[in-house]
Amino acid sequence: MIGNIALGLLSAFPAEIAGTNRLIVDIAMFFGLLLIVAMALNFQYGNAGIPNMGCAVQVIIGAFSVSAIVVRLDFWIASMAGVKLDDWNDPFKWIYSNPNNVIATNEFFKNNALLSMGILLLSIGIALVFGALIGYLLALPAIRLRATYLMIVLITMADASQIIGRNVTWISGGTLGVFIPDVFAWYPGDRGVITAVVTLFLGLVSFMVFRTMLNSPYGRLMRSLRENEVTVGSVGKNVVGIRRNILMFASGVTAIAGVMNVYYLGFSNEGNYQRAYWTYWPWLMLILGGPGNNAGTFLGAAVVIALRRIIIVYKFEISQFFFFPISYLEDILLGGLLVIVMIFRPNGLIPEKLLYIPGVNYSKMVKEEVKVDWRAAPKAREKKAPKGKEGKQ
Amino acid sequence: MEIPTIYLMAITYASELTLLSIGFTLTYLTAKIPNFAHGTYAGIGIYVAYTFAKFWHISPYYGYPVAFILGGLVSVIVYKVVIGTLSKMGSGSIVLTIATLAIQIFLGALVNIYAYSFVAFYGQYASGFLLREWDFEFLGIAGIFWVAIGLSVVIVLILHYLLTKTKLGISMRATAEDTELASVLGINIQNVQIFSWFLTGGLACLAGAMIPMWFMSSPTTGSAIITSIMAGSLLGGFDSVYGAIIGGFTIGFSEIMFTLWGQQLLGPWFGEYRPLIPMIFLITILLIEPRGLQGFYERIKSRRSTTTAMKVKKEETDK
Repeated sequence: MIGNIALGLLSAFPAEIAGTNRLIVDIAMFFGLLLIVAMALNFQYGNAGIPNMGCAVQVIIGAFSVSAIVVRLDFWIASMAGVKLDDWNDPFKWIYSNPNNVIATNEFFKNNALLSMGILLLSIGIALVFGALIGYLLALPAIRLRATYLMIVLITMADASQIIGRNVTWISGGTLGVFIPDVFAWYPGDRGVITAVVTLFLGLVSFMVFRTMLNSPYGRLMRSLRENEVTVGSVGKNVVGIRRNILMFASGVTAIAGVMNVYYLGFSNEGNYQRAYWTYWPWLMLILGGPGNNAGTFLGAAVVIALRRIIIVYKFEISQFFFFPISYLEDILLGGLLVIVMIFRPNGLIPEKLLYIPGVNYSKMVKEEVKVDWRAAPKAREKKAPKGKEGKQ
Repeated sequence: MEIPTIYLMAITYASELTLLSIGFTLTYLTAKIPNFAHGTYAGIGIYVAYTFAKFWHISPYYGYPVAFILGGLVSVIVYKVVIGTLSKMGSGSIVLTIATLAIQIFLGALVNIYAYSFVAFYGQYASGFLLREWDFEFLGIAGIFWVAIGLSVVIVLILHYLLTKTKLGISMRATAEDTELASVLGINIQNVQIFSWFLTGGLACLAGAMIPMWFMSSPTTGSAIITSIMAGSLLGGFDSVYGAIIGGFTIGFSEIMFTLWGQQLLGPWFGEYRPLIPMIFLITILLIEPRGLQGFYERIKSRRSTTTAMKVKKEETDK
């Protein structure tokens, strides 16, 4: 981990980023991205028991918020600052003049490091807001119902968002896609490296945030919700509200992954957000690592990302052994691994552990046997009761 | 009188979707999970029809029994290897549903590889095809219309007989109601489950084999159709086979007709949004009546009974 970051920072010169180094940067980048998604998924499914099958929707919202809102804002700021841009006001010209405009805006961002960093922060903020909004909307039809209904709605929504992105050109350029101004243009070295470092940083931050949240009273409430929602409801907690809050928060965080993916590629198109990639692979990470366990999710993400990236990079060498395209082999691996892990390691590589609560020896509390003989209990109560009556008399 | 082709097309598609929705509902009844791999069984059926027509040059109608048996076998293997094992381990419904998604990915990749092997070994392009030239004509209307509507009516009648009159069907319904109670009464749950999975897989594969006769098919058609199947089953109420018949037919018919009307009213761009129509249905049903037509029917029934009871009471008080 630290080695990767150090290598990324040290090799900040374009000449050195090639071959294996490029592979490491790539793995670090996608590890950071999918760590965010997988941690949010662990937060929802592993700890609160909400089967979110719509990670792809949340990621796509992050990406679309950049391509539909932030890019226009970039152009507006650049034209206010006096950069000469081509006309981009109607849908056709928006796509047609997009490459030229992006090049001009990049030149402008090169000299304005603070502004471009501000735009990065702003796009993350917008993604958080829109992610939370879409989480609320997705929760609306199905959160009160059975969990399988929620799964059905979320899976279909992933397809729906792709169809809308493909056909409404002003969102993400339709089938052609749009280029995104580079917010890291001021960085003298390789922009892949700096994006990967920022993404890894965001991934680690989200890891720490989720870890802290799970140890808080709210996290314990979430776990109790997963174990038995009827009990939680009977204690007076608003089960539907808690579920909706969790879904909204996790949606917002997942949308950040979409933002960083767009900035890494420098390009936004709905085709990059297949539900197989952004929903099923994070699920494999979660189930392989162990649902409900942060360290397990971390490990699962690392293993799966390394496997996938190596397959993609050595595609040519592997494809000589098979007559069919490698993407089908990946699908077979994904489906097969999911089933095999579920059958042979239902608790994942690192099984769920008891919660760590500062100042409380929780494991001792749970493991201590409470010695109550339930058959003897009524007798004990009878013995006690006359004493009380005597006292009153 | 000439019936416009689009209506025939819509009815054909609706009949196919009815068969698929019935299968989906049967799985939901017996195993208590939505089977996301159900659409992929249809993908297998599509390629059975393809192999018969374009590879062996026989009429694809001869492939229908093969499709039924093959789909049933695949479904039983899926149950035996994955679903049965997982439910024996005591996994919850969420884990089982994720397992069906994994099976969908796995089977979808196998169908894709099968389609690609035609390109690799025989130089025969096998995705994006139609089998219209293998069809026959009857009364000036394409044969698949008669076959689809006839097969679905016959299958619905057979299913009705099976579920209400035979011992096997009644034990299936008992298993769907309460698994433990059924096993106490001496019903072999394993056999009933295997039979119902065979039936659902077979029906799905058979419906899939009918699709390429009139609709453009590719390896992903099977996976894409699952939204329509779920919408149909949900409209029927998820726990009623008779509801699924109405639901599947309504969704299939309205998917094609709404696309046509949308194109006529709003312009040709509307055709791109065809996959959204079942999704809109799905969300509307969930927002209005999550138990679909079954819940609607029960609500009306209960209201009628309460109103009649109130009438009787009122009459008594009037007297």
